[in-house]
Amino acid sequence: MTRLRESLTVLVFLLPVLVLFAMFRFLPMLGAVGLSLTDYHPGGDWRFTGTENYRSLAQDEIFLSSLRTTLGYVAVYVPLIVVVALGTALLLHAVPWGRGLFRAALFAPYATSLVLSGVLWRWVLEPTGFLEQPSMVLPALAVVGAWKGFGYAMLILFAGIRNAPADCLEAAKVDGASVWQRFRHVLLPALRPALFFVVVVETVGAFQVFDTVYVMTGGGPVRASYTLAYAVYDYGFRYFDIGSAAAIGVALWAIVLLVSLTQRRAFDRNP
Amino acid sequence: MRRAWPAVLLSLTSLVAIGPFVLMLLVALSPGNAPTIPYRLPSSLTLDNIIRVLSTESFLRWTANTVVYSVVSAVAVLLSASMAAYVFARKRFAGRDVLLWSLLSTMMVPFHALLMPSLVVIAQLGWSDTYWGLIIPTLANAQAVLLLRQFIRALPDEVFDAARVDGAGDWRMYLSIVLPLCRPVLATLGVFVFLWHWNDFLWPLVVARSDRMRTLTVGLSTLESGHLTIAELMSVATITGVPCLLVFVVLQRHLTSTISFTGSGR
Repeated sequence: MTRLRESLTVLVFLLPVLVLFAMFRFLPMLGAVGLSLTDYHPGGDWRFTGTENYRSLAQDEIFLSSLRTTLGYVAVYVPLIVVVALGTALLLHAVPWGRGLFRAALFAPYATSLVLSGVLWRWVLEPTGFLEQPSMVLPALAVVGAWKGFGYAMLILFAGIRNAPADCLEAAKVDGASVWQRFRHVLLPALRPALFFVVVVETVGAFQVFDTVYVMTGGGPVRASYTLAYAVYDYGFRYFDIGSAAAIGVALWAIVLLVSLTQRRAFDRNP
Repeated sequence: MRRAWPAVLLSLTSLVAIGPFVLMLLVALSPGNAPTIPYRLPSSLTLDNIIRVLSTESFLRWTANTVVYSVVSAVAVLLSASMAAYVFARKRFAGRDVLLWSLLSTMMVPFHALLMPSLVVIAQLGWSDTYWGLIIPTLANAQAVLLLRQFIRALPDEVFDAARVDGAGDWRMYLSIVLPLCRPVLATLGVFVFLWHWNDFLWPLVVARSDRMRTLTVGLSTLESGHLTIAELMSVATITGVPCLLVFVVLQRHLTSTISFTGSGR
């Protein structure tokens, strides 16, 4: 009897979270795969079409170019934000005064929205014309993303630097190791976990870039910034092709999983 | 002697970080539509633009929607997540670890993958273009459950044992031990959830069919510099951004140390 009561209490405590996750996470996860196998259109009839959406996406030049565009964005954004975040974290470590003030200033963009960042930078970049040039639009978007987000990565890396063994750094200094040697052989090994975390989080985030694209370029010029996440929105809300939009979403999901697993393995293999 | 270049570089980077906000404020506070920025500083400052924007009806509505979306979500996430976190941290029951892992696994799913099916669920529930549809799907927050569970697990066992000896049941434990002891982490988490929702874009964008359901980010994204002056646009931007910046400035020490220690906040 008491065991029954006990289980009932546990269930009641879990109930809100269970219902929320069942309805708005697990059901949509199944639904994403399900929808991607249909030709669902809003208001109309729909039927099961098997893998047809996936097969037509494999031939779809718009989708394929959005894959390339997304990879291009990731290739610019991730090194940029990691270098900027690591650089500012090291600088923050090297300057012993005014840390609170510097940290607040550097982190401020992170507290605001990507939409606000996009609106501000769309205006700041207007005289340069970068957002109208197909070759410049991805780097410009990457700079805006990195400007908004580097404060977060910087905090993680700064915490990692402070966890580095102080006595080793001191010993290396006494032994006459250069700044680079101290960084390469003492700091970097200690920073590996933090660096790994930052690289994974930022890569996964970069594959899903959407807000800045929506606000600053609308995927243009001539689809030069038409990313996968933007394609999900565009297929769903401009073409009302829900089946294909869901299929692109599932593809994005698969890519994100694959990337995190690959990075995990790469990290485990190189100690 | 300490070299000066790290401090110089750090100051320059800080200027780049806050520069756009300073420009935004200056333009929003510039009188008339004087195209002074970025070439010349305005000779005087005024609140006219901000007041004019604030007195338009749809803008007030967007602000109210954003406040409702952020505040209600923060409270509801704290309540539901702390209840679940308590049993995950302090009770033994069949399938506990599997259940926790499956909740956490949802953090790996890009929201774009769930976008279309979530909208179908909302439509089936008759929640399209309503506050229910806006708020409730965003309450499934695995990060909050995880963070609170870690915190509750780290609380000393003696407190719970003593309460049990005194005959306290689970509700008493939750209400008079867990919630009071978790106050610092609940406060930080509440601020994070508030900021996530205040800054959220994609979900409010697709749920809001009518102008009266838009949040500030969605409204701001619909504004083109052609339809209103740059000073008005920057006024909207200011009102969208300043609450976050203020919350952050006041609480920055708490927020930054939570990020440094747990990596949450993203």
